Amino acid sequence: MEQIKNDIVDYLKANSFMDNGSSLKDNDSLTQNGIIDSIGLLELMDYICEKYSIEIPEDMLTPENFDSLQGITNMITKLAK
Amino acid sequence: MRIDAYITEYARKTPQNIALEEGKNSVSYSCLDNDINTIVLTLDDFKHCRFAILAESGMLYVKVLMAVYRSTNIAVPLPIEFPKFSLEKILYTAHINNIITTDTQYSRFGEDFFERFGTVIIISGSASGEFLRKKIETEANNPELRLVLYTSGTTGTPKGVMLSDRNLIANAESIIKILRISSRDKGALVISPHHAFGNSIINSHLMAGSSVRIGNMNFIDSVFSLIGSDVSIFYGVPSTYRILLRYLERFRKDFSNVRTAASAGGGMDRSIVKEIRELAPDIEILPMYGQTEATARLAYLPAEDVDEFVDTIGKAIPGVILDVFDSEYRPVKPGITGELVATGDNIMLGYLDDEIATEKRIINGWLHTGDLAQKLPNGYIRLLGRKDDLIKIGDHRVNPREIERNIEENNEVSRVFVVPVHHELMGTAISLMVIPAEGTEIEKLFAFCRKSLPGYLCPREILFIDHLPLSENGKISNRSIIEEYKHVKASM
Repeated sequence: MEQIKNDIVDYLKANSFMDNGSSLKDNDSLTQNGIIDSIGLLELMDYICEKYSIEIPEDMLTPENFDSLQGITNMITKLAK
Repeated sequence: MRIDAYITEYARKTPQNIALEEGKNSVSYSCLDNDINTIVLTLDDFKHCRFAILAESGMLYVKVLMAVYRSTNIAVPLPIEFPKFSLEKILYTAHINNIITTDTQYSRFGEDFFERFGTVIIISGSASGEFLRKKIETEANNPELRLVLYTSGTTGTPKGVMLSDRNLIANAESIIKILRISSRDKGALVISPHHAFGNSIINSHLMAGSSVRIGNMNFIDSVFSLIGSDVSIFYGVPSTYRILLRYLERFRKDFSNVRTAASAGGGMDRSIVKEIRELAPDIEILPMYGQTEATARLAYLPAEDVDEFVDTIGKAIPGVILDVFDSEYRPVKPGITGELVATGDNIMLGYLDDEIATEKRIINGWLHTGDLAQKLPNGYIRLLGRKDDLIKIGDHRVNPREIERNIEENNEVSRVFVVPVHHELMGTAISLMVIPAEGTEIEKLFAFCRKSLPGYLCPREILFIDHLPLSENGKISNRSIIEEYKHVKASM
């Protein structure tokens, strides 16, 4: 779990508006805090699919699964099983 | 009349009809009218003052906007997707004393950001406003001014387009006609309401007594669910369609009851039209063209001509006259390139506090669009690029020279050149070619861009070059930069 979370944070730092110094709480909204936009989310999704060799069905592309670190981590854990 | 007066009229005639929907919530015309009145009570002491609105898209945003209109004040919606310092630049040039914001944006931007305002109102979900501070200042504004929309300002000097009630109503009336919006329609608003296109969706649907379903493009499942919930008119910029067309089966299913797929903000290309046709054969595709300086719309391509003329902008919307002028402001014949000009009740009052820029754009009552164009024999108009160096990136109009200057001034580099490059979803993104200086680091440049530019301007790649991308006659232009880029890529 922690490893996945760190990977996502590294990705966000390298590819979005997230500052290197700033910290992100597990349940903070990525979209409402302006960390990522719709194009960015699709790119993040492509990254996740490739990195974890998973396919994310469209009906999982929801705020619950994609708008926070915790949501994304839970989703990857579920799908990577 | 003002746009909000139409809401009052429908609150009387069809009080139970739904005006706005968002997620599981909806509001009828009668409730919407009441909620607007509640906010107006807060604003009543202000007379024709500028109010910045810093709010995320949603029903509350629409209520606040309409309340600013109804209290006879002037709305200045801030594009919340811009980085903080771009918004600060807008505020610095716009001389705004008052702001209305939501809890969400107040905590996101922080207390310091709001210190510059004499009046700060925080508005909450139930449409009740609370003063954090209140200081009324007398302002000398153009008496017709109702709304200011910002067209650029991500990097260079922000330009506020001043619009009047007459502008807003004239353009909404034209849009209602070309889209045949009736009280039974439901429009989807998934793009930003703070810019001309999104704003026009709100105005035209509320003026027609129909409803608007508000969402965003962030989460694909949510967008498709929104479209599948009886939306009859879907609005998107070309990149909106490119994103949705990644999901063929969902597109087929959820667009099956949509009557019209309208677009603006950039040209629809043939491949998008073809894919929509295959997945939703009965849908009417309606590409539109416009500018913020014309409130929103100027031209549209009638649905029956989409297959043949998709590379044109079609013809003027009702109430607008389009023409193509030569450099001496004389109309040219079909097939001759000139500048597209427009006149009508939707043409802006001018740029806020910038008479010089206004005089360059509105000459003898004609808006000079800056778009190079040719008339076709059938009267349709084909665009041929820009008179200036502006380019469309991710469906936003940007000035590459301003972006270059901004990066050069804030980083250790010798020269920076912005190259428009193909992007699968956005249509066009940017890459940078950089002549390095001592201490130039690619990572630092990327970091600066991510932090200081909106997402669609984050460069896809940064290439080092060692000489200026000059054309044969020794000039630097978008064309010479693109040529150099091709050359560099070919030799890699």
